[in-house]
Amino acid sequence: MKNTFRTTPIALALACLAGTALAQNTPIRIGVVTPLSGTYAGIGQQVKWGLDLAARQINAAGGVAGRPLELVYEDEEANPAVAVQKAEKLFQVNKVDFLTGTVNSGSTLAVGQLAERNNRLIATTVSFADSITGDKCSPNVFRVNARAGMQSAALADWMAGTRPNANVFYLGPDYEMGRSTVAAFKQAAEAKGAKSVGEVFAPLDNKDYSPFFGQMRSSRPAVIYTSVAGNDTVRLFSQMAEFGISRNVQVVGASGTVTSQNLPAIGKAADGFVTGVGYATSIDSPENRKFVADFEAANKAKPDLYGADSYGVLFFYKAAVEKAGSTDTDKVRAAMRGLQWSTPQGVKTMRAGDHQAMQDMYAMRVNGGQFEVVGQVKADAAIGADVCTRF
Amino acid sequence: MSSPITTTAVAAAPAAHRAPARRLSAASWLAIVFFAGALLFGAVALALGDVFYLRLATEALIFGGLALSVDLLLGRVGLLPLGQALFFGLGAYVSALVLKHWTDSIWLALAVALVFSALAGLVGGLIAIRSKGVYFALISFGLAQVVSKLIYNTRELGASDGIIGVPAAAMAPGLGSGTPQVFFLLVLGLIGAFYLALRYLMDTPMGRQLDAIRINEHRVAFLGVDAWRYKLGAFVAAACIAGVSGALYPMLRGFVSPELMFFQVSGHAVINVIVGGTGTLIGPLYGSAILTGLRSVVGSFTAHHHIVIGVLFVVVVILMPRGLIGYATPVLQRWLDRRHHSAGDRT
Amino acid sequence: MNHALDWLQFVLAPQMINGLSIGVAVVLMALGLTIIFGLLDVINMAHGEFYAIGAYLAVALLGLGLSFWWALVLTPLLMAVLGYATERGLIQRVFHSKDRHTLTLLLTFGVAVVLEDALKIVFGANPLRVEAPIAGATEVLGLFFPNYRLFVMLLGGALITAVWLLVFRTSLGAVVRAAAYDRHMSASLGVPVQRVYAATFAFGVALAGIAGVLLAPIYSVFPTMGRDFVLIAFSVVIIGGMGSIKGAVLAGLLLTQVQSISSLYISPVWSDPLLFGIMVLVLMWRPQGLFGKLGSA
Repeated sequence: MKNTFRTTPIALALACLAGTALAQNTPIRIGVVTPLSGTYAGIGQQVKWGLDLAARQINAAGGVAGRPLELVYEDEEANPAVAVQKAEKLFQVNKVDFLTGTVNSGSTLAVGQLAERNNRLIATTVSFADSITGDKCSPNVFRVNARAGMQSAALADWMAGTRPNANVFYLGPDYEMGRSTVAAFKQAAEAKGAKSVGEVFAPLDNKDYSPFFGQMRSSRPAVIYTSVAGNDTVRLFSQMAEFGISRNVQVVGASGTVTSQNLPAIGKAADGFVTGVGYATSIDSPENRKFVADFEAANKAKPDLYGADSYGVLFFYKAAVEKAGSTDTDKVRAAMRGLQWSTPQGVKTMRAGDHQAMQDMYAMRVNGGQFEVVGQVKADAAIGADVCTRF
Repeated sequence: MSSPITTTAVAAAPAAHRAPARRLSAASWLAIVFFAGALLFGAVALALGDVFYLRLATEALIFGGLALSVDLLLGRVGLLPLGQALFFGLGAYVSALVLKHWTDSIWLALAVALVFSALAGLVGGLIAIRSKGVYFALISFGLAQVVSKLIYNTRELGASDGIIGVPAAAMAPGLGSGTPQVFFLLVLGLIGAFYLALRYLMDTPMGRQLDAIRINEHRVAFLGVDAWRYKLGAFVAAACIAGVSGALYPMLRGFVSPELMFFQVSGHAVINVIVGGTGTLIGPLYGSAILTGLRSVVGSFTAHHHIVIGVLFVVVVILMPRGLIGYATPVLQRWLDRRHHSAGDRT
Repeated sequence: MNHALDWLQFVLAPQMINGLSIGVAVVLMALGLTIIFGLLDVINMAHGEFYAIGAYLAVALLGLGLSFWWALVLTPLLMAVLGYATERGLIQRVFHSKDRHTLTLLLTFGVAVVLEDALKIVFGANPLRVEAPIAGATEVLGLFFPNYRLFVMLLGGALITAVWLLVFRTSLGAVVRAAAYDRHMSASLGVPVQRVYAATFAFGVALAGIAGVLLAPIYSVFPTMGRDFVLIAFSVVIIGGMGSIKGAVLAGLLLTQVQSISSLYISPVWSDPLLFGIMVLVLMWRPQGLFGKLGSA
């Protein structure tokens, strides 16, 4: 709470003299507001692992423009009200230069608004709602992970290639995000020739999906698309396996449907599931192999897309600050627009028009607890239109 | 001169009549300490140029208003509301919509929220008031679940993302919720007004009826009192207090989200009331202030702050069911009485 | 005619059978709750958490290498111990104050918060799996039904019958019912009322624990699973009559059927609000529920 700068004349003179040398030793503080408790704690854990690893590596290599990175964590409990309160603490009390870590879209949007008021930049590495770089875009918010539209594009492309003109049945969780994810994929899939044979929405935290299986079975789909997530996926998949629904059907879904947090619980029932996603450990490149090895050595667990994207965001920030030559918000923002930086998934480009990162997207299939690449879509084909009009 | 709320009222009353008009009860002193302390806090924050802690304190006061509304029902009428966040959240949404789409006047936003809360309270009360005890708690809980689910799914209200971009509200030209110090004073004043209004109400015949209803509802009917009407009135009043408090939230934070109606908010309010002191009215304000600060501090150290607060709550329920202020008041009262007698208060 | 038969066989029947398997689960939860209320007059808001602990205990026991059947037998025993300790250690302390109803409600609410976070700390936030001990499916009337679910229905039904017999046909049950009906009289007749209370609470908790183990392979295991059944279990207990076993069973089966069949016609999101609405109506028209209290029914 103490806001004191001892401004005795001597100190002031020293500060002026030391100038750049002093600045080079003061750390750059990065605030991280991420769910460390609650349902999304698993995602927050991956975010933390990714950020810690990147910070360690960057600091070992000399820091950002000679200054070390310092991470300050706060728990947002996946609640926008708490996220805003903690973010304000980080901006005002801890005086962070940059902030990241928000998971759900509501939190990212609310914290983004706070960032505007505090003249700071934030980046999200998890939220995939299109609105964040779409109709609710903000000049202070950047997104380094793939958004929902990009994920749908990769998946629709793969589906059109392997099962042309397929009959698709849609099952989503009945809330805004679940419905819009289904709608987005439906649009992308139908544009490539797929046919919709049914659509059903189950409540969030639904225990039992068996009431929907009758309708599913009678529509005889070749593909079932689902946008459920977390525990709902565990229930849906194990119940589908119980009832033999998934036997001759290709199950596909959103990237949040099967992740490293729920895959162990789903087990064999997830085999064959395909999704469109921006990262998998099986991406075959030297950067990724090194990243996976480092991550596993540090955390005894493999990285997932949240860990990988969070790892990448610090390198993004480093590249921007070094290009801008300062941590001043406006200069860094200008440097970030159009910036290209290298990540375990390859080179990403930050689109200036809406602050959305462009990257190659992959179609991945789950096999024996691992994700394997089965398809790829180039960055510009996947990115979709820039609908942000605020700047 | 206000009379004390505690059960030592009977003993203290004769002394109070004899004593000079200046003498305040322990409950009043505790209230004065709270508001004076808040003003001091505001002054210190202003001097230090701090914004975060001031806004945190403002948020604590806003949730204190919710806790007040819970205390009105729990401590005075004897009904446990597990879904009071419903009215808080409704007030917040109404206020956010008014500020974003109609006018930026604080007073109008609060007025609209008040009207809306009263209506919602009437509807909710008609459904819930017939029941008592766990039935009432469950209806209150269920109502909050149903409405929050409705809002969670309504795209026009922002769905699960909530509504962002709520502009700062203006009290008077140039003064608004954008200035943390000014807004802190406004919220403090408003919550103080609620507190005083409730204190006053408890002294009126209506307040006494509520007490009687809480103690034995069946007997009250034999005295010719329609308990139902009083309970409904109290329910609507509580909804209004919760709703207006909620209306202040988007002015502070610039956004609203469905989480404001979730059970966690209602649960926290109940915990604030119990820890602070059920029925004391000032206790919930103390509880809200202390626990908001505690949650923030503990949350910075560990991710397991829920369990810390939960254990604290269980301990309080078992060992100190009357809450902090509930125990502090009689102790303070005895001390005040002793001081007065030793100062030569004649018979 | 053919159309109607088809509809009966392929649409209505599977919905009803699904509803039955969900119903058995709900009744097991509601039974423990209603017994605890009927005897102790205690609203156990932590009941859902005991259900979750039962499931997690199964996970732990399976992790130690024991088979599912061992877990099914051991978990209720362990849960009974936990329930006994909770009653003697926590609930007894507020039991004799004049604000008992509110205080026990608040206490169990606080205990629920603590237990949920404790589960998260011990087991982590991610979901866990319990393998179903019986694999495969049988064909019933042209539809596939997982064998494990059939097993759950049968075992659940057997448990419910056993509880009924225990309460109404044994002398132990008579003692419990007597203590519920008039505890002072029972005490003066030599019934160790304190111990009966604690044992009954333990019994209710053990029932919740068994439900947790049985349902774990179907509904998976994660820290907030306790909230799955809170609203619906309380609704069933209230509609059936607080403290009435017959009420819990009938209301549980009936309401899950209503939910299942209504989901054919209205969006499933509304099935919980529908139940809530029924509960509110019942409370307004007949507050004691369909049947009375444990002491009398």
